Amino acid sequence: MSASTFGSGIRRREDPRLITGTATYTDDIVLPGMLHAAMLRSPFAHARIRNIDTSAAAEAPGVVAVYIGADTDGEIGPAPCAWLLPDSGLTIADYHCIAKDTARYVGDIVAVVVAESIHQTYDALDLIDVDYDMLDAVVEPKQSAAEGAPQLHAEIEGNQAFHWTVTGGGDITEAFESADVVVKETIVQQRLIPNAMEPRAALASYTKATGELTLWNTTQNPHIVRFLVSLVAGIPEDRLRVIAPEVGGGFGSKIAVYPADFITVFCSKKLGVPVKWVETRSENYQATTHGRDHVQEIELAATSDGKIVGLRATVWAGMGAYLSTAAPGIPTILHGLMLSGVYDIPAIHEDVYGLYTNTTPVEAYRGAGRPEATFMVERLVDLLATKLGMDPAEVRRRNFIPKFDDGHDVVTGLTYDSGDYDGALTKLLGEAGYDQLRAEQAEARKEGRYIGVGLSTYVEICGLGPSQVAGAIGFQGGLWESAIVRFHPSGKVNVMIGASPHGQGEETTFAQIIAGELGVSPDDVKVIHGDTENTPMGWGTYGSRTTAVGGAALALAARKIRDKAMVIAAHLLEAAVEDMEYEDGKFFVKGSPESSKTIQDIALMANVAWNMPEGVEAGLEATTFYDPPNFVFPYGAHLAKVEVDAETGSVTLQRYVAVDDCGPQINPVIVEGQVHGGIVQGIGQALWEEGVYDEDGQLLTGTMLDYAIPRADGLPDIEVHSTVTPSPHHPLGVKGIGEAGTIASTAAVYNAVIDALQPLGVSSVRMPLTPERVWRSIQAAEEDN
Amino acid sequence: MQFQSRYSFDADPGRVFDAMTDPATVAKCLPGCERLEAIGENRYRAQMTIGVAAIKGRFKGTVELRDLDRPNCYSMRVDGRGPAGYAKGESRVTIAPSDAGSSVSVTAKAQIGGAVARVGQRLLAGTAKMVADRFFACLRSRVAEREAG
Repeated sequence: MSASTFGSGIRRREDPRLITGTATYTDDIVLPGMLHAAMLRSPFAHARIRNIDTSAAAEAPGVVAVYIGADTDGEIGPAPCAWLLPDSGLTIADYHCIAKDTARYVGDIVAVVVAESIHQTYDALDLIDVDYDMLDAVVEPKQSAAEGAPQLHAEIEGNQAFHWTVTGGGDITEAFESADVVVKETIVQQRLIPNAMEPRAALASYTKATGELTLWNTTQNPHIVRFLVSLVAGIPEDRLRVIAPEVGGGFGSKIAVYPADFITVFCSKKLGVPVKWVETRSENYQATTHGRDHVQEIELAATSDGKIVGLRATVWAGMGAYLSTAAPGIPTILHGLMLSGVYDIPAIHEDVYGLYTNTTPVEAYRGAGRPEATFMVERLVDLLATKLGMDPAEVRRRNFIPKFDDGHDVVTGLTYDSGDYDGALTKLLGEAGYDQLRAEQAEARKEGRYIGVGLSTYVEICGLGPSQVAGAIGFQGGLWESAIVRFHPSGKVNVMIGASPHGQGEETTFAQIIAGELGVSPDDVKVIHGDTENTPMGWGTYGSRTTAVGGAALALAARKIRDKAMVIAAHLLEAAVEDMEYEDGKFFVKGSPESSKTIQDIALMANVAWNMPEGVEAGLEATTFYDPPNFVFPYGAHLAKVEVDAETGSVTLQRYVAVDDCGPQINPVIVEGQVHGGIVQGIGQALWEEGVYDEDGQLLTGTMLDYAIPRADGLPDIEVHSTVTPSPHHPLGVKGIGEAGTIASTAAVYNAVIDALQPLGVSSVRMPLTPERVWRSIQAAEEDN
Repeated sequence: MQFQSRYSFDADPGRVFDAMTDPATVAKCLPGCERLEAIGENRYRAQMTIGVAAIKGRFKGTVELRDLDRPNCYSMRVDGRGPAGYAKGESRVTIAPSDAGSSVSVTAKAQIGGAVARVGQRLLAGTAKMVADRFFACLRSRVAEREAG
C-alpha cells in the first residue's frame, strides 16, 4: 500500500497464467475462416533454383494457394535491415521473403502453401518439386573472407557486409611496441541457437473492405513490427494493428521481423481471410536467428607490473546469408565500444569484419555483442596474470577504473554512468571465500585433482538509449520509451507502455513503480502492453532497456499525476499548492496530515469533475515520452569454481557466485531470477551449446537431441549477491539486469576451467568445453611437453 | 558422411562383379529399393524408401556406374532427393581375389541434407552400414545360389 512496495520481492503476477497453462499465445488464437500457411525451405545451403513446379501441390486436398518468389513481386519488398551502420562500407544484400533465383542457407524460404488445415499444408509441401542446382557453400566467417571462397551475393565483393573499426586513446602500435609483455589468443565465439520455448508464429487478418490488417505476432517489439510491415507490405500504419500476445521467450530472436511474418501478411492480404503460420521446432533451429559466431584474434599489451597499456583485436563476425533487422549493430556498436570493460585502458583498436556465410542469419542473443567483448577482455586479463605470475584478482585491481558516481569517459567514446568495480570484486571475493578456494586448489593439486577458480568482472551497456545516439549510429528508429498512466474513478490504475515485456516481469515491477510513486497498492495497477492499438508508441524490449528507459517514462508520468493531484487536493482543501505536502498516497496541508485527500479521492473527483480548480482539465491521466540522456552501465563480478576430471575431460561446475549492481532493485526476487537465467545461458555457451554446420552448410544441430541446452542437473545453486550504485541520470536510479548474467558467466566458467588445467599446460580450449575437447587439449599439451 | 567397409564372398571376383553390377540383382538386394530401371548405358533411374531415425522418406534419383574394370573395380555415382532430404555421393568398389574367393572393399563419400541430415545425423553412418550389410548379405546368397545352380 505504500512506497515500501518499491524494493519488495512480491510475487510475479505474470506467473499464475504462465504456470497454469492459461496464457494466450499467438498459436492459441483461432479466427473464423482462418487458413494455415507453411513454408517450404531450402534443404541446400547454397543452390540455384532452376525451376519450381507447384502444380501438384496446388491441386492437393484443402490447398487454397501456393506462392513462389515471383508471386510476391510488387506486393512485399525484401525483409529490411534496419541498423545502417555508418562508416563501415555496409552492403545489404536483398533478403527476399521468398527466395527468387538462389537459396543461400538451409531454411531459406522458396515457396509457401496456404491450406485449410496445418496437415494439408505439410502434405502439399512434399508435392512441390524444386529443381535445385547445388553450389559450393561457406559457413565459417574467416573462411568466407578468404580469397577463392564461394560468393553469396553477386553484387557484394568478398562476402563482406561491413568493415567497422573502433580506435580510441593513444597510438596502439606504439603501445604494443613499448610494452613489457604482450599476450595473445585466438577465440572462437561459437554460434548459439536461442531456443525460445515458444517458436515463432504470426496470424494475419486482412479485411478487404476496409484495408485494415491485424497481425498477432510473437515479437519483442510490436511497434517496430508495425512500422516495418507497413513499409514492406504497403499497409498504412493507421490501418495496421500489431498485437504481441503472450510471448514465450525471445532472448533477441524475436527482435527481427522475419520473411515468414511478411509472407503471412501477404497471404492474408491476397486471400482476404485470416492466415496463421506457426513455426515447427525444426524450422526454429534452421530459420530463427542465431547468436554470436565470432572468430577473434586478440592481444593485450602491459607493463611488467601488470598495468594494461593497450588492447588490439580483429574479429570476423558471421552474419549469416542475409542481414537480419538489427544485425550489423551487434558485433560492432554493442561490442567494440565495450572493449575497455571495467578497466582503464589507454589505447584500444578493433577491426570487425561482418561476413555473409551460407548459414541462418545471426542477430542479437541475450547480451548481444557484450558477452563477446567481455570474454575477450576477461580472457586477456587472465592470460596477463598467468604470464606475470600474478593472481588474476590482483591484475584486475591494478587496472580497474576507480570508483565514480557521475560519469567516466573511456577511450572508445562512451561515458559510463556510475560504478565501483573494486567494490564489487571485493564483495565477491569475500562472499566466495577466495583465499580459502585458492588454498583448497593448492591442496587438491597435491592430490592430482584439478580444481579451477575463474573470475569475470564486467560492465555492460544497456538501457538503449538516447535517440540522438541511435541516429548517429545508424539505428533506423528512436530509442525512447513511453508510458500512459490512467486513473479510473475508483482509484484503480491502468498503465499503458510502449515497451513489450515477455517474461521479464514488468507487469509486476511497473505496478511497483506506480505504487512507489503514488501510494496505491500494486494490486490496483494493471500494466497493458504489446498491442499497438491501445499502447503508445515504443521501441520494444531488448538491450535491457524496458525498466531502464520505459521505467523512467513511467516514473515521470506518475510524477505528472502527482503534480496534478496536488493542485486538485489543494483546491479541495482550500489551500495554496505551495503549502501542500505529499506522503504515501496522501495529500495534505503541511502540518495537518490528519485532514488529507487520498490519491483515490483525487482520482474520483478528477473523473467526475464536479469541483475542479479553475483551468484544470478533467481526468487523472498523464503521458510521458522519455528519451534517456545516456545509456546505463550495470556491472559486477562473478566467480566460478570447477573441477576437471583429467582422465575423462569432464567439467563439474561446483560453485557459482555472482555480485551484480543494477542500482536500486524494484523487486529483488525478479532481479535474482533474471540473474539466474542469464548466468545459465552464459554457462551454456562455455560448457555445452554450439550450433554446428557441416562444410556443405547442413545444420547438424537441428533438434533438441543434438543441441545441448543447459539442464538443471549440470548446475550448482547459484549464489546471488548485489551492491547498489544508482545511475545518476535515471529518475529512479535503476539500471538493467536482463542480460548481465550472460555477459559475465561465459568468461567466468571458461577462466575457471583453464585455471584448473594450468598444471597440465593447457592454455586454450575451443568452446564449448565438452569432455572430448578438454580431454584432447590435455592430450595435446602432454604431447607438447 | 564417409563410409568404409569390407565384405568377403566365396565366389571368384568375376561372378561377384557381375552380380554387383546387374540391375535386377541390385534391385532385389538393396533394402527399400522400389525401382531401378535403365535410362542409358550404365545409367539407371532409381526409387528408394529409406528410414533414418524418425525420418522416413522416398528418394528418387539416378545411379551411374563408371570406370568399370571387370572384375577388379568400378565406381558408382548416386544422386537422389525427396521431401525428406537429398543425398549425393560417390563410392568406389574394389574386388580382389582372396582365399575364400573374393574380398570386396567399399569406400563411399556422401553429402546428405534436409530433414534426414538434421534429425538423423547421429544415425546416418549406422544406417548406411546396416543398408550395406543387408545388401551384401543378400548378394552373397544370390551369388551362392548361382554357384550352386
